[in-house]
Amino acid sequence: MVRSRRQGQSNPILMVGGFATALFVLFVGLPLLALLLRALGNDGFFASLTSDVALQALKLSAFTSAVSMAVILVLGTPFAYLLARRQTLPLHIVDTLVELPIVLPPVVAGVAMLMAFGRNGIFGAALAHLGIALPFTTAAVILAQVFVSAPFYVRAAKLGFLGVDQEYEAISQTLGISPWRTFWRLTLPLSWPSLLSGAALAWARALSEFGATIMFAGNFTGRTQTMPLAILSAMESNLATALALAVMLMALSVLLLIAIALVSRAAPWEQRR
Amino acid sequence: MKGWVRLQVGGFTLENQWSVEPGSIAVFFGPSGSGKTLTLRAIAGLVYPKEGRIEVDGSLVYDHDTGAWTPPHLRRVGYLPQDYLLFPHLDVAGNVAYGLEGMSRAERQERVAALAAQLRLEGMERRRVWELSGGQKQRVALARALAPRPAALLLDEPFSALDMELRRSLRGELRKLLRDSHIPIILVTHDREEALALGDTVQVMDAGRTVAQGDPVTVLGQPPTSLVARLVGVENLYQSRVTSLSPRNGTMVCSVNDTSIEVSIADVSVGDALTLGLRSRDVILATQRPAGLSARNIMEGVVVGLEARSPGVHVEVQCKGLTVRSQVTQEAAEEMGLALGKTIWVIAKAASFFLVAP
Repeated sequence: MVRSRRQGQSNPILMVGGFATALFVLFVGLPLLALLLRALGNDGFFASLTSDVALQALKLSAFTSAVSMAVILVLGTPFAYLLARRQTLPLHIVDTLVELPIVLPPVVAGVAMLMAFGRNGIFGAALAHLGIALPFTTAAVILAQVFVSAPFYVRAAKLGFLGVDQEYEAISQTLGISPWRTFWRLTLPLSWPSLLSGAALAWARALSEFGATIMFAGNFTGRTQTMPLAILSAMESNLATALALAVMLMALSVLLLIAIALVSRAAPWEQRR
Repeated sequence: MKGWVRLQVGGFTLENQWSVEPGSIAVFFGPSGSGKTLTLRAIAGLVYPKEGRIEVDGSLVYDHDTGAWTPPHLRRVGYLPQDYLLFPHLDVAGNVAYGLEGMSRAERQERVAALAAQLRLEGMERRRVWELSGGQKQRVALARALAPRPAALLLDEPFSALDMELRRSLRGELRKLLRDSHIPIILVTHDREEALALGDTVQVMDAGRTVAQGDPVTVLGQPPTSLVARLVGVENLYQSRVTSLSPRNGTMVCSVNDTSIEVSIADVSVGDALTLGLRSRDVILATQRPAGLSARNIMEGVVVGLEARSPGVHVEVQCKGLTVRSQVTQEAAEEMGLALGKTIWVIAKAASFFLVAP
């Protein structure tokens, strides 16, 4: 103990590290603190929080992100399982591409979706023929959210499934349990922490989605104006509302972060193996 | 339970057959990489053979010719893997009850309680599996495998994770339990003692094939070929030629590098080439030239090798024309003052030598 502390004092990297850490905490903390102080300093904080614009944005964000998460969980889980259990060349390519939306600028994603599903897009005409118009609808908000946040869940879920020894699944089947039931009774519980933290990350990303949404869905109150978009609009007219929404998003983010930290410590067997 | 399979994994080809009666234990014996575990996995349905036919409990679960294939969860073949693989998210009772789907809660509890009693797991039902000792883990894994009442049971080195003493004490217990289950059982091991203690039959495997099978005492005690002898660990093998027969004595004299050895007579003629086997534990050592012994083979030699080999000491003695390996206890080795270069007398009864077919 004593020796390592002494080493720490003489190690220049660690000293610079300490300085950088302090800088980082201030750099991230000060703006957030400023936001909090300004928002709470406003007399009309709670009024702004419950204003029509804020409530509509909140409701829309809650609804769209919930639907997005449902889509991501229902389709992303078997998708991630396939990626974890089968190694073929096409799947390997897909696996690499899965993370593309994470690095792709969201605005580009929005433009791309317009080019595909917009009125003049490649599939837009066919969709219009069927009476479906996606751009600038609530459905477009959901599509944009799924596009940008699904990779966060799929990636975490795949790693979670990879962490479940396939021999466990084999043993389960020799005990008379079908592959389907084995997934529910064994694979899912064993990969639960990864799935939960992946879902929390994806949800946080869906809630904060901005660029793809404004490109592909526009900024219409009550229809496509989610909280981040409402903040942009409110900044021009009503700073108090913008601040209130920002604080609310910040609080949600912190809660999700805490949730992730809690679930990643939840599996007692992880530490025992 | 019977069948045969041919399958390939990488460059390894397995070609094996088996036949096990209900209530009896067949031992697959052989070095690692000989295809023992792979055979078990084929029977359980965890690998897909290239060719073959597998029958469990009278019904065909795989037949290459007709394309019949029963998935593992419908085969009713219990499989106990080498490292047990208890499910870490469930406690002991949860592990044992895992395969009991389609039962009422009460029935499930009853079955778990019965198995816990049978396998001495009472009071441990709520324990987490990582808190268990090796022996306890083995019993939980066995209870889990037996719970759904499998039609056959496959045990892959069930004692490998346990220490020697525990192995011995659990062996008798396991034998009784397995007998009472009245199902065909295959047990994989590379421990000869275990094979002798548990097997009704033994199948010696090497490089993906069965090279000998039969009664364990015969196959492991007097291996039929020198390959099997090497596999089962007969330490002394000698190429010899018959020099004289003495039917009245029931012995014959064989020559190994011009050294004469008197061994039990066999149906051979003078001049025949024979391979003789001698187990190291059947060799007696003496520090002085012994007199007045009934043993027919007494040779002078020098200790050229000494090695602690649990449970005892492995001694290599260079006699005129042949090397003899002997296994003695630690205590005996100390009392005799065994050391490299020490002159020693080697003693072996004529009946201790056995014929290994050429």
